[in-house]
Amino acid sequence: MRKIFSVLLVLALFVGVFSLNVMAQNSDMRVALVLSGFLGDQSFNDSSYEGLKRAQEEYGFELKVLESGVSSEWEQNLIAMASAGYDLVVANTTQFQQIVKNNAPMFPDTKFALIDGVVDLPNVVSAVFAQNEGSFLAGAAAAMFTQHDEIEGVNKDKIIGWVGGMDIPVLHDFLVGYKQGAKYIDPETKVLVSFAGTFNDPVKGKELTLSQYDQGADIVMNVASGTGNGILEAANETPHYAIGVDMNQDGIYPGAILTSMLKRMDQATYLIAKSVAEGNYEGGRTIKMDLSNGGVSLTDMSVMQEALGDKFPEEILTRIQELTEKVKNGEIEVDSYEGFQRN
Amino acid sequence: MGDLGLIINLNLLRATLRMSTPIALAAMGLVITEQAAITNIGIEGIMLIGAFVAVAVSYFTGSWVLGILSSVAAGVVVALFMAVIHLKFKADVFVAGIAINLFAIEFTRFLLRNIFNTAGSFYDPNIVPIPSITIPIIDKIPVLGTLLSGFKLTDYLGIILVFVTYFILYKTVWGLRIRFVGIHPLSAETGGVHVNIKKYQAMILSGIFGGLAGAHLSLGYTRQFIENMTNGRGFIGVAAMYFGGVTPINTWFASLFFGFTEALGNNLQTFGLPSQFMLMIPYIATVVAITIGMIRKQKREKNNLL
Repeated sequence: MRKIFSVLLVLALFVGVFSLNVMAQNSDMRVALVLSGFLGDQSFNDSSYEGLKRAQEEYGFELKVLESGVSSEWEQNLIAMASAGYDLVVANTTQFQQIVKNNAPMFPDTKFALIDGVVDLPNVVSAVFAQNEGSFLAGAAAAMFTQHDEIEGVNKDKIIGWVGGMDIPVLHDFLVGYKQGAKYIDPETKVLVSFAGTFNDPVKGKELTLSQYDQGADIVMNVASGTGNGILEAANETPHYAIGVDMNQDGIYPGAILTSMLKRMDQATYLIAKSVAEGNYEGGRTIKMDLSNGGVSLTDMSVMQEALGDKFPEEILTRIQELTEKVKNGEIEVDSYEGFQRN
Repeated sequence: MGDLGLIINLNLLRATLRMSTPIALAAMGLVITEQAAITNIGIEGIMLIGAFVAVAVSYFTGSWVLGILSSVAAGVVVALFMAVIHLKFKADVFVAGIAINLFAIEFTRFLLRNIFNTAGSFYDPNIVPIPSITIPIIDKIPVLGTLLSGFKLTDYLGIILVFVTYFILYKTVWGLRIRFVGIHPLSAETGGVHVNIKKYQAMILSGIFGGLAGAHLSLGYTRQFIENMTNGRGFIGVAAMYFGGVTPINTWFASLFFGFTEALGNNLQTFGLPSQFMLMIPYIATVVAITIGMIRKQKREKNNLL
């Protein structure tokens, strides 16, 4: 009995330690990325990871990633990394806000970074994104696109769609901007909204998207991480269209995805890791990533341009350019969701 | 009327069928084992492993047929493993099922990382999906075409298998014996039926169904693998099985009912009703259905004892 127990213990240890472990020789700096989800979402988590990898290539530190889809494990993972003496612990997504707030004071020597949320503590750097500004452009692009009924799969109705993962404040911040952008182009544009209630059910995402197409939408924006893979697939299997999110998803199904709203988590994590490596990490501040500093943006739509050829409505590109300038210089003020604490 | 037409229309029925297929396939496997007195909740894990194997094999061989076959084979292996634990080593099948479900989530994650060097999700243009079937003449008929044509091969297969399951259970000697084993194993044994062998065979069949359900999910319904992509559909299959009174045809109707509630919830949400409540619909329906199913099960067991 005792033997079995000890074998089990050893196994448990192995499983516990099992995670992405990349070693580098020329630095003893150690960085941990704690996720409220998994890598491979082609979206939020992957982007943050990419930024850290880029910094790792330059500065050569040890990088460890802890993934978990179970919310009760997120806090444990964060504490484990801080207790293990990691120099920088990056907590990815807004869902870590309270966790970082509660635990950062207990590890004054550990540097924390919170992506997509704000905690005002001396050893935390926060990065927030103006996803409402990016979504504003996406909504505007969708509203213009839905008027081009000469394009295959675009109907006469001025209806566009939006499918989100879980119903959380940051997603509403996307939604507010998306709606405002659509209405800015044409106040008559109707926006269909659905939430899948989960970030990892592509089947649900696909069905919700098909339902929106069915109710007259011809282009649907994906804000749903893993669930979103189903949204893009729906666009690919029907004559209709989708808009990607977080990373450049245009090329996943060329010709089905008009553009992607880029949220440069990679830029934020890169900058923070860089500051730690160069010794100029400055806690207690908030990095604001918005349209003006390239923290959010739309893709150049070149994939769609190629797919549609002459039919591609060039005016979308010029109008988006125009709107980008207007948002940057404050001529257009994009609303944000009141329940989302940006400051 | 215009608004109602947006919610209740032919496409709602199409979505209902699409969403019921994975549930129905899992539930058929469950009906067979339940008839042999094994509640195989491990079907969820079998589906998940099947979904992974189907995508992996289709990716490497470029053949969805091989994808389905390997998924079925994997399903059978896992089901047999459970059967050995349960029948030979006398473990509680419920515990074994939970173990398999937990194992499947971590095991597929492990394979994803080690075979494809990715985490979370895997999709690739090289994954060859299960084809859609366009029924030649019916396709052109307005309403029937929308209702019957253009589904995935496995959607049709699922419906056929409902009737095959019915035939096996109620029209063959083998089915009679399976039911005999389930109702009263001692008399079955006395009557010269090898109870354990029958139970093994029932588990093998449920592995086949679970593998098919998984392959349909990852190669038919979508064309990708995502961690934990079954998302409780196997469990809904358990609910459907009880709600359908552990008979194939009624269980199929129960699966359609669950598919319908989810499809309706989706359409209502898109229409503008609050997502929180619309997302609840399938689960409320499940709770209600499983309650009704359990009451019926108790009644049936009472009758069996008399």
